[in-house]
Amino acid sequence: MEVKILSAKFAIKDAHKLRVAKKHGAYATLEKLFAMPPAEVIDEVKRSGLRGRGGAGFPAGVKWGFLPKDTGKPIYLAVNSDESEPATFKDRYILVKDPHMLLEGIIICSYAIGSHDTYIYIRGEYTSQVKALQAAIDEAYNAGYLGEKIAGQDYRIDVTVHRGAGAYVCGEETALLESIEGKKGQPRAKPPFPAVSGLYGCPTIINNVQSIASLPFIIANGADAYRAYGTEKSSGTHLFGISGHVTRPGMYELPLGLPLLEVIDKVAGGVWKKRKLKGIIPGGSSTPVLLPEEAETVTLDYESMAEHKTMFGSGGIVVLDETVDIVALVKNLIDFYHHESCGQCTPCREGLGWMLKIIKKILRGEGEMADIDLLRELCDNIEMKTVCVLSAACTMPVRSYLDKFRPEFEAYIAKAGSSAPAVQQE
Amino acid sequence: MADTVKLLVNGVEVEVEAGKNLIDAIGAVGIEIPHLCYHPALGADGNCRMCLVGIEDGRPPLVPACKTPAIAGMKVLLDAEHIKKIQHDVMEFELINHPTDCPVCDQAGECKLQDYYMSYDGRESRMTVPQVVKGKKMDFGCGVVHDQERCVLCGRCVRFCRQITKTGELGIINRSDQARVNIFPGQPLHNRYAQNVVDLCPVGAMTSADFRFKQRVWFLKKAPGICHGCARGCNITIDHNREKYQDDLIYRLRPRHNPLINGYFICDDGRMSYREENGNRLIEARHGRVARSTDEAMIAVTSEFAAAEKIAFILSPDSSLEQLVAVQALADQLGAGVTGYSDGYIKEGDGDDYLIRDDKSANRAGLGLLGIDCSRDNFNSAVSQASLVVNCNNDLGLSLGADELTALFAGRLLISFASHQRDLDAMAEIVIPIASWSEYAGSIVNCQGILQTFPKALSKNHHPEELRTMIGRLGSPLPSLADCRSRLGELLGIPGDFAMIPAEGLQLNESEAADVNP
Repeated sequence: MEVKILSAKFAIKDAHKLRVAKKHGAYATLEKLFAMPPAEVIDEVKRSGLRGRGGAGFPAGVKWGFLPKDTGKPIYLAVNSDESEPATFKDRYILVKDPHMLLEGIIICSYAIGSHDTYIYIRGEYTSQVKALQAAIDEAYNAGYLGEKIAGQDYRIDVTVHRGAGAYVCGEETALLESIEGKKGQPRAKPPFPAVSGLYGCPTIINNVQSIASLPFIIANGADAYRAYGTEKSSGTHLFGISGHVTRPGMYELPLGLPLLEVIDKVAGGVWKKRKLKGIIPGGSSTPVLLPEEAETVTLDYESMAEHKTMFGSGGIVVLDETVDIVALVKNLIDFYHHESCGQCTPCREGLGWMLKIIKKILRGEGEMADIDLLRELCDNIEMKTVCVLSAACTMPVRSYLDKFRPEFEAYIAKAGSSAPAVQQE
Repeated sequence: MADTVKLLVNGVEVEVEAGKNLIDAIGAVGIEIPHLCYHPALGADGNCRMCLVGIEDGRPPLVPACKTPAIAGMKVLLDAEHIKKIQHDVMEFELINHPTDCPVCDQAGECKLQDYYMSYDGRESRMTVPQVVKGKKMDFGCGVVHDQERCVLCGRCVRFCRQITKTGELGIINRSDQARVNIFPGQPLHNRYAQNVVDLCPVGAMTSADFRFKQRVWFLKKAPGICHGCARGCNITIDHNREKYQDDLIYRLRPRHNPLINGYFICDDGRMSYREENGNRLIEARHGRVARSTDEAMIAVTSEFAAAEKIAFILSPDSSLEQLVAVQALADQLGAGVTGYSDGYIKEGDGDDYLIRDDKSANRAGLGLLGIDCSRDNFNSAVSQASLVVNCNNDLGLSLGADELTALFAGRLLISFASHQRDLDAMAEIVIPIASWSEYAGSIVNCQGILQTFPKALSKNHHPEELRTMIGRLGSPLPSLADCRSRLGELLGIPGDFAMIPAEGLQLNESEAADVNP
């Protein structure tokens, strides 16, 4: 089931070094690229159906098309490498194993949108990754793939790495821009959208690392070659991070559209220790949970996830076995999002703290039945009332746990503690 | 009048100013959209989420009104159940960590949270878990005391220090419900407009060290006035009250919006100038070394006037136009000299490029318009020729030293009309208390050449009369306010009833303004 498009060079020793990467085809698309007019590059990406791999799944080529023409202002490219959604660990592979694929993608994107300055926003916790990335950038500068005249062409591209300081919300594209500008990482109200007024008030395209890294394959092999993978509306491949209670957790590149349960069984070796499946988080902690019976009909693409009232998200699949205490899980979840709320909007700032205190109270066995309903109602009252979707990233999954595992919450309130089978000591 | 557009609010057509955001546009026709973080002087921020409204045109189901411009044909939904629910929900979130101890809060009575709770929430608290504990009574400097617990993090104060004073002392630190407005360690507020954050704060988080817990705001009488602290003439609200067995006192001055002059703000010096207005007042008339009633003293003044060979009037640059023109008319009738010498009111280099001016007097432009000579030479000659000098509330001690004054007035009779006790009064044979600027109605011209009128605000226990009526008693040909104004109207080329002067003042035409600012 696995394919090797993005991960083609991951297994090659020292592929992060320019010499090795070039031997395996890095920067080979540039000649073809500069023979194409930029509009043709955008068309090719549009035709490929590449969708933003950051979680929202917005078509990349369409996003580029929102750039206003001839504003007289510079156009910036910001590469989102904040990768802070819990259970997501895909971009880090690209940064460490094949950073030149990302840089080649940056060149392609910059050329297509007419940008000369790229900022790679990388999460502060990625210390080894930032070193690997910076080393690759330095090599690319020395070899003339970045700088004044890239690959001998009359085209300048400068790439700057900007490290975050550990805020989840800076993965939100406008908070990311604020952070690059040196301000407190708080999302901006939209409109205006970044394509019109982004970094320093200039037109800005923000794409995820994996989206950008997908470009060299599309340009080298054409949109149709990319569309050969995946489904009609969800084309191409995706780096899936499968974690949790599976036999072989890890990062796997798969075409979109595969059946979720089959992937868990065949790729990740199924639920570990012959335990029963309790639920699946399909795309990072902010996506609503799927019950085993729901998961049966789910395929790994944007449309199927939406049909099942969840989201494709970041491709971070978490498998929950029968021993998982859902109430404790929800407490962890709210704890995380409460801690990461930027504190700007009232509902998220105050509401998530309230939810956390309620779930802690339930977990202590001091809850009342009304608390479950209150939690559920707070989800509705907070969600979509805020500048960004961080609040929804918390309330959507919490609502799904409350609805799908309500008896477990009630068991806590009946002072019976966790209703999940105890973990056996081994 | 600006361009207008018609739009529908709850299905009812209203005509509003085009281009403004919905809060201001619809608010101008009397429909309130609740909001905490938006302030017209600071722009939209969009963090409080109180102003979310529905626009029925296919855009996202909820938009912040503060960031949505009024467009023709727009269908704005305010009274729908789902909008009311949002207002209620946001109020609930605002209040869960807010100490609802309104009876002991200084803001009570003028608190947005209180008002909005009554208008948009009104339900029992569902908070059954402990509140977030935050700091209280934090000294932020410049007389601003911060109560973190009451803060709704609207960021108005932060934006004020960044956008208006550009000093940036305040910031919001931390995230989530640990977010706090704070200063940098050891770097308190340090600007001359800092106390505006107290007015800007929609709740009781920013309080004035000077005012807090002195008065319940609902006992304060609120009168419009004009600050006499400098030549800017900022519009203010005079909050005053007569406590039982006490005098009518000003408890605070607050800025009053005037787009032509001061916008929404005033400086801290002007704000604190109410202390001078309250304190050190001249209460009782004196003749020689004997205290007299004002009437008795005025009889003495009348006879001194009759006996005097040559009189000189010293005018104050703080006096109203009506007072100045009344004195001028009397002086003309008596053939008396008039001087407006008051160089000491000007503090060279103290002004800034925002509101504060070097000239600490309110109506020097008025002196100029009436052609009253303010030079030292004229002052010297007027005084030296006179046998009787009448000081009309000019604080000469600012301009001249005690020795100079003693030498100047030696051998001359000095009569002082004064609102405040000053050293100069000791030299005067007759001293008569008069009203200060908050106690009479009048008009002044500011440094921009804008003519403004203001009403009487306070009624002091000692019932001081204003200079104009005192001068009237001495036989001024302009005995009433209406007489003074019709004369002023002739001089300034405007209708004499002053009724046409708009609320924000009248910009006198350029040639007149040119006289004012040479």
